[in-house]
Amino acid sequence: MEVSFQNLILGFATVLTPANLLYSLLGCLIGTMVGVLPGVGPLAGISMLLPTTFGLDATSAIILLAGIYYGAMYGGSTTSILMRIPGEAASVMTCIDGYAMARKGRAGAALAISAIGSYAAGTLSVVGLMFLAPPLARFALGFGPPEYCSLLVCGLVVLSYMTGGSIVKNLSMIALGLMIGMIGIDQMSGYFRFSYGLVALGDGVGVVPVAVGLFGISEILATAGSPDRREVIKPRFRDLLPSKQELKDSVGPIGRGTVLGFMIGIIPGSAHIISTFVSYALERRMSKHPERFGEGAIEGVAGPESANNAASEGALVPLLALGVPTGPIPAVLLAALMVHGISPGPLFIKEQPTVFWGLIASMYLGNLMLLLLNLPLVGIFVNLLRVPYRILYPTILLFCVVGVYAVNSSMVDVGIMSVMGILGYLLRKMDFETAPLVLGVVLEPIIEYSFRQALAMSDGAYSIFVQRPISAVFLVVAWIMILLGLKPLIKKTRDWRERLTEAEKSA
Amino acid sequence: MTIDRLSGAFLVLLGLFVVWERRVLPLGTSHHPGPGYAPLLLAILLIFFGVILIAGGKGSPRLRSISWPEAPQAAAILACCIFTTLLMEEIGYRLTMFLVLGFLFGVMERMKIWLVLTLAIGFSLGSFWLFDSLLRVPLPRGGWNF
Repeated sequence: MEVSFQNLILGFATVLTPANLLYSLLGCLIGTMVGVLPGVGPLAGISMLLPTTFGLDATSAIILLAGIYYGAMYGGSTTSILMRIPGEAASVMTCIDGYAMARKGRAGAALAISAIGSYAAGTLSVVGLMFLAPPLARFALGFGPPEYCSLLVCGLVVLSYMTGGSIVKNLSMIALGLMIGMIGIDQMSGYFRFSYGLVALGDGVGVVPVAVGLFGISEILATAGSPDRREVIKPRFRDLLPSKQELKDSVGPIGRGTVLGFMIGIIPGSAHIISTFVSYALERRMSKHPERFGEGAIEGVAGPESANNAASEGALVPLLALGVPTGPIPAVLLAALMVHGISPGPLFIKEQPTVFWGLIASMYLGNLMLLLLNLPLVGIFVNLLRVPYRILYPTILLFCVVGVYAVNSSMVDVGIMSVMGILGYLLRKMDFETAPLVLGVVLEPIIEYSFRQALAMSDGAYSIFVQRPISAVFLVVAWIMILLGLKPLIKKTRDWRERLTEAEKSA
Repeated sequence: MTIDRLSGAFLVLLGLFVVWERRVLPLGTSHHPGPGYAPLLLAILLIFFGVILIAGGKGSPRLRSISWPEAPQAAAILACCIFTTLLMEEIGYRLTMFLVLGFLFGVMERMKIWLVLTLAIGFSLGSFWLFDSLLRVPLPRGGWNF
């Protein structure tokens, strides 16, 4: 199904109903709040609010949840600019020049440019998503089990390279995630694996308890007892308009950030975070006055903020066209779609045009809503930042419990969430990344199924994975990534991935 | 002991555990891999990564370098999670959350009693009303139907 006027009409007809408009608006507002509050990332936000979508149809549910996802990218900048604390990890770079601008009395302009950049990047990325996803899905229709298995292996290896930190540790987290994903009934033979008589584990370990435990609970555990007092700069409403020069200086960074962000977003890994680093570095290199960076350069806000929004929407391309999540947040979105009986993949756009085009149309409107609402409501969001953390974290814990319990009405899931919370907390302490683990859990059933099918097809010959050209290409890419990841270990040098890890830690 | 060596040893042990536990699952053949085939491959991978971490972990930070300033609060929060897991279906969502929030606000954060009661009652009843009554997400009511 190609991009056509009829498809767009279908999408807008789907979204332009009072109910879906309301869900889009709600998603954007909740997403902004989730982004504003440090410690509540979009992943925890989506997981916690997943149960609220159970009564909705699939289209409304995905409109609401996607709104939270891209809305969080808008919200993250507010905290970065006004407090020098990234509301979520993708806003780390905005802290530098955004906060410096705020100290100089230009907080309003920084917020406005951030919102305008986010809007432009978000909207242009939806255009990219709209044009790229359908042909990619059509191309993927020709994939057999070997190609699919190699694609997923390649995706996981690329993720472990792009996530930052030690590639050996990341690969071991993927293996651990795949192992956890094997718990439950084997879909090909019906055997119970590693369930130790617990019937509730028959369906396997769910993505939501794993993700909420590893990201939500472990965050609460790691930040427990953190200081409560925060300095918040409150911008005046009349200062929200940027000057002509600031607008002019932002056009280039917004354009470059959009293209960069969208392209990086398609690649597995912490794309929305990496894109901001690349964008900031690019703007600094291209600037005639690089010494202004760090002192309140508007380009240092416009570029990264556009890039993280574009990346978050670029990540939807492989998710919707191939059914391959590129990070933990798309993985939870995938789980949410599956809860509603939809399996993203090459057939998704063809078989569920209303959901796909409805989502596309909702993103056009959602980005506009965010632009129009975010600036006037900035005062409310600033007040949200004044809620003491000692009140906030028990509330987050409550929402985590409800969110996890409600998926299957199962206390075993709440138990899994607690165990994953401890595991995530310990893994953080020991410098392990948890995103590859979540992806391993999500992708295990598909990888194992396609792996075993491919071997059955080839009468047990592993060479099938390299004899089929597309599969071979994916495996070559995976090998290159492994070798690149091992390079700093062998040469004992630091590369950009270590700097990324440091920045993520500081966030 | 360094962080990488300890985590590597843990991965090796986990891999060996999976190899041991997998023995009850048919391995199958490479023509028709059984339910134990992929777990065995993954266990071998885990052991391999563990050995690499142990071998290359000499220069990694020492275990003693990890600071645990938040550990007492984290342990209390964890205890709340375990309490919720074990008792929520028995005594119901509202009572469990009231007790958990009351403990966190009152004992851990030492807030004033009226504020503790207001927040604990407000959040436990309010969230129940939002999810169970309004959004029709069934939450446990426990033996007392509360």
